[in-house]
Amino acid sequence: MREEERTGAAIASSGKIVPLPHADAPHGQDHLTWAYQTHVTAIYQYIYGRVGNRPDAEDLTAQVFVKAINGMRSDVSVPELRSWLYRVAQTTLADHWREYYAEGAGELEDDVTQQPAPRENPEAVQRVDSLLATLPESYRRVLELRFLRGYSVRETAQELSLSETNVKVLQFRALNRAGRERGRPS
Amino acid sequence: MNDDPEQLDKHVEDLLQDRRPERTPLPDEDALRARQTAAMLRAAKPGAGLPSKDFLERMQGSIQELVEERSAQPQSAARPSRRSLLLTGATGIAAGIAAVLGIQQVVKAEPKKVAQGALVVGNGNWKPVKALVELPEGTPIAFRSGAIEGFLIRQGQQVRGLSAICTHMACILNYSKFRDRFECPCHGATFEKDGQPTNYASPLSPLPSLQVKVEKGQVEVFTV
Repeated sequence: MREEERTGAAIASSGKIVPLPHADAPHGQDHLTWAYQTHVTAIYQYIYGRVGNRPDAEDLTAQVFVKAINGMRSDVSVPELRSWLYRVAQTTLADHWREYYAEGAGELEDDVTQQPAPRENPEAVQRVDSLLATLPESYRRVLELRFLRGYSVRETAQELSLSETNVKVLQFRALNRAGRERGRPS
Repeated sequence: MNDDPEQLDKHVEDLLQDRRPERTPLPDEDALRARQTAAMLRAAKPGAGLPSKDFLERMQGSIQELVEERSAQPQSAARPSRRSLLLTGATGIAAGIAAVLGIQQVVKAEPKKVAQGALVVGNGNWKPVKALVELPEGTPIAFRSGAIEGFLIRQGQQVRGLSAICTHMACILNYSKFRDRFECPCHGATFEKDGQPTNYASPLSPLPSLQVKVEKGQVEVFTV
């Protein structure tokens, strides 16, 4: 019974939020649970795509939902809700990066403000592909081997016939160059 | 305190091992951008970036508890629950939860909407997701569009749409061809092709259906 109450909120035929089977449950409760359930994976993926590790992605996702619940109204439309969640995610990420570097720690891609589309893994892959395409061959190779194929520094060194130190230097230059490419206004 | 290849590689190794990198202050914006770029590359690796079952369980518990506390005692003091605290990990979410509980009266449901129990959502769009000819008869095909994760099931010239989000803890369901049903990778909940839950310890809601139409051979889904 309780389980049903918890999970009853749903997307109905036209994207509406429909009532629970148990109409006596307070409405705000449905809406929050629904908002959480339908967005948790997308928000997690969005954040993971920007911090690149599980512990940070989990903490930041939890923060986003706690903050979002804070400001949630029950009469918000789904597009509004989504854009709200992505905005909260953005500010949460900006705060996160500020722990590394205090100034200019805004997220590089501010397009979310205009276009709060859900970020999907296929899209993350596409972003990476277009970024790699801007790099010289040797930079692209080292990043592909390390990140996309998961080679260790040693394996990368063998593959590229370089010393391990040189692999790290190449990786350093490649990431810095790629970072500048991403920061460049397009 | 200059950035150098060794230091950056340490950060990269942490990401590749899915560890939390050390938060050492960085000398400049280039160093920051290099790390943000590394994170983006890391996430593009196949198989990366889906929330774990364990995390979804913890989240569901905490969200549920927040929601319950809010509806049970609207004036409750700023006292984070034990379970909510378990969620927090290394960062200070407890403070956030306390703040949330402190202002609950602000976020209570609007009474006029509660009476009717339904919300009208505007601004949706029809989005083409597949060509009808791509859909096999009777076999659910997964799609993703906007905020919607779903399955399309073709029956002749008709197509039905079902949400692919498990009504237990929001994991994304798989369709098993072998057993001809939807299965949750997290806790093993199963659903028939009509969306009805089967055989689960606690009663689950059926999978919501989605609005789908076929327009000029394209299957379109109403999404937001």
